[in-house]
Amino acid sequence: MSLEELAFLALALVAIVTALLALLVRELVHTILWIAIFFVDLSAIYFLLEAPFLGVLQLGVYAGAVTVLLLFGIMLTRKRIFSREAATGIGPVPLALALVTFIFLVSAVGQLPQNELAIQTYDPSALSVNLFGPNGAWLILLGLIMLSGVSGAIYLVREGRD
Amino acid sequence: MTDLALTGFLGLSAALLGIGLFGILTRRNFILLLIAVEIAMNAAILNFVYFAAFPASGTSGLNGQAIAVVLVGFAATEVAVGLAIVLALNRLKGTINVAQATDLRL
Repeated sequence: MSLEELAFLALALVAIVTALLALLVRELVHTILWIAIFFVDLSAIYFLLEAPFLGVLQLGVYAGAVTVLLLFGIMLTRKRIFSREAATGIGPVPLALALVTFIFLVSAVGQLPQNELAIQTYDPSALSVNLFGPNGAWLILLGLIMLSGVSGAIYLVREGRD
Repeated sequence: MTDLALTGFLGLSAALLGIGLFGILTRRNFILLLIAVEIAMNAAILNFVYFAAFPASGTSGLNGQAIAVVLVGFAATEVAVGLAIVLALNRLKGTINVAQATDLRL
């Protein structure tokens, strides 16, 4: 087993465990800490997949901004920050649905070629040329959606908007 | 240049989608719901990056990375709007339990 495979297995294990812990622990602040580790771990997986630009973007946007936004959401909605959630049981139906989805997807994965391939590397500058060239429409669309999303968010939290 | 088995990443992505789906179906707290959606969204982004790293022979997978960049932006916007809804819900109802958000109007 090569070093890369070992690294991937470790990172995948951390990703699954932290994602599960984030949804199962009862203190919301601990949830945020677990999800921050999850985001950093995914960023490491992007670096492993030779996508350094996306790895840095994941660190900046998810591990940085989204985590802080979620923390603000908790801060602003409860009086005491370390207050426990009421336990919500693990229902059999959601568990079965999630498992069926997982098994269905994994069975589709089995039909792909199983041999080892070399990872294709790209220059980050080639990615930026692609983003502002052939995929420029997506970037403009993203900008418009972000603009409308943020103005909608400001409208929603405005005091006395009636 | 590293060599990796093809299927491990897709298995991880499927597992993360399952975890996210499970969270969406079971959690009642709006913030936990947002986190579950983020986990599922990250599974999708991981798929795009993965297929960009292993494109079909003779093609460039760069579009996959470009779409992943756009999706990260979409997900960040979604969290911002979601948290605005959380704050509005908390002001109106005094709770962020989605089971108690029974009115259509915020």
